[in-house]
Amino acid sequence: MTPAAAARPDAWRRMAGDWSPWHDRGGRLSPLRGGVFALALAPGLWLALALAGAFGPLALGAEPIHEAEHLTGLWALRFLLLSLALTPLRRITGWGRLAQVRRMIGLTAFAYAAAHFGLYAVEQQLQPLRIASEIVQRLYLAIGFTALLAFAALAATSFDRAIRRLGANWRRLHRLAYAIAVLGLAHYALQEKLDVAEPAFLFGLFAALMLHRTPLGLAPGRAFPEARILGAAILAAALTAFSEYAWHATLTGLPAERILAANLDLAAGRPAVLVLAAAAIPALIPLGRRLLSLARPREIAHEAR
Amino acid sequence: MHFHRRPSWHIPEREVTPERVFLDRRAVLAGLGFAGVAAASGLGVARPAAARPAGEAWTPAPPLDPAYADAGRAITPEAVSGSYNNFYEFGTHKGIADAAQKLPSDPWTLQIEGHAARAGEIGLEDLLAKMPVQERVYRHRCVEAWSMVVPWIGFPLAELVKWAEPTSAAKYVRFETLSDEKTMPGIRQSWYPWPYVEGVTIEEALNPLPFMVTGAYGKVLPKQFGAPIRLHLPWKYGFKSAKSVIRISFVEEQPMGFWQELQGSEYGFWANVNPEFSHPRWSQAQERVLGTGDEAPTVIWNGYGEEVAGLYKDMDLSKRGLWF
Repeated sequence: MTPAAAARPDAWRRMAGDWSPWHDRGGRLSPLRGGVFALALAPGLWLALALAGAFGPLALGAEPIHEAEHLTGLWALRFLLLSLALTPLRRITGWGRLAQVRRMIGLTAFAYAAAHFGLYAVEQQLQPLRIASEIVQRLYLAIGFTALLAFAALAATSFDRAIRRLGANWRRLHRLAYAIAVLGLAHYALQEKLDVAEPAFLFGLFAALMLHRTPLGLAPGRAFPEARILGAAILAAALTAFSEYAWHATLTGLPAERILAANLDLAAGRPAVLVLAAAAIPALIPLGRRLLSLARPREIAHEAR
Repeated sequence: MHFHRRPSWHIPEREVTPERVFLDRRAVLAGLGFAGVAAASGLGVARPAAARPAGEAWTPAPPLDPAYADAGRAITPEAVSGSYNNFYEFGTHKGIADAAQKLPSDPWTLQIEGHAARAGEIGLEDLLAKMPVQERVYRHRCVEAWSMVVPWIGFPLAELVKWAEPTSAAKYVRFETLSDEKTMPGIRQSWYPWPYVEGVTIEEALNPLPFMVTGAYGKVLPKQFGAPIRLHLPWKYGFKSAKSVIRISFVEEQPMGFWQELQGSEYGFWANVNPEFSHPRWSQAQERVLGTGDEAPTVIWNGYGEEVAGLYKDMDLSKRGLWF
């Protein structure tokens, strides 16, 4: 075998490791990365097909562009929150490989945010002056556009060379993801006609994720992970209920006390209740492990070694 | 942009399309035949339109008012307008058409209240028998910057007001929508100020344009449009046009509308269409025309200035309040 022929598989593998969404760094097929890639594409693919009329003329309702605009914005926020969930999830599961999909998820969120803006531009007949004057005049648009610009800066510095060149500054710059999430959620809430239940739910999830970045939250070596998860879920739910109350008390004519009281009706599916459930469920993972270790102490001890 | 009123003899090409008329003619003949047989056999007569299920053909077809035969734009397909309805009693999104089928629209009784000689209740069938039922094609402009064109069947509100004989104490007409927790899931959201209320001045109510709608697209009004009887005020933003009206009151005080109570800065009492006055969150200069993917410039009074501008001649048109 000539040296050139031997080098070829290596070069191929390196390229796959650097560029392929379904390979890991070492150029091996990665079901995790492949699965996340499929998850990232699925809503966009569905939306593109729906816009093209593949599912009938009314698949996206009477205003398809408007609906697609709404949905891409929602997916941008969902993927952004998912990217912020990876660190706490890694600490819960101990599954270090989750770090391999963080960039992909972050870039997915940006792609949806960019598509969201693109659809808005289409709706405004692609008239630059009109788009600019709307952004300047409407607070929620100014906030959304600021978030998009910051997000573009993160996407543009998401390549290996940029990461190497920026060094320690890269981490500092990419903390902007938290600010982008706050701006994105504010943009979402401010465009609502009245009821902010949906943005409040996403805000609650964001609050839970941020609580895990404080001394109260999960971290390697900290005791009682399930209590920390549960505690963060309760705090995040309380913050959700309070924010929703404060929002209506100051910004809308809805009776804020009644909305606060509605949280007690669990079946009503108010955002605080949903946040409590969604943020508490991961506590089952360490809890399950603890129960398993009580049942089979020897094996677990052996694994730990 | 200016909408020209066509002469009374003008029939747009679209309306010449004989399909519905043709089908209706047959239905009329069939109905007559049935009535004849029924009368002969003592079975009774065919029920009037109000007592038939929503969505059934309106027979016989009411005459098309020539003044409102053409809205200057194509009629929005029913599949589009009938699947995009703000009807908060059934949910806060617009896909409520399926949920709205539970609306108990038959039988229906209207309460006439307040300063009117005919205050009391009246069945919808009885009311329709007294009213000049006709078809009118109107443009509808939502405050959310979309619009549609619907061929409504109904009668002028002015006729109802004249029939009710309001006294001089009646300054406003207040409309109240059904609020039924059993059939309307949205009512469980107790923080909204149910029932839905809207209102107009008595002068506005006596204008020939406001229309009490009991049918659409040649049929008994489909439920998601606000069956069995709703208001339509084509020169005002859509939220002013209350659906499923159960109570009409002649009152002295300006009624507080549902949306006005919730967010008075965005949805006020007058809410007359004007492209110059932006909503706080979007421009009102254009409208997205449902079912076309196109945009059209919005026209002051939604293009009905000839009919209604006179109502406001003593008011300050530069004040934002008249437009929100």
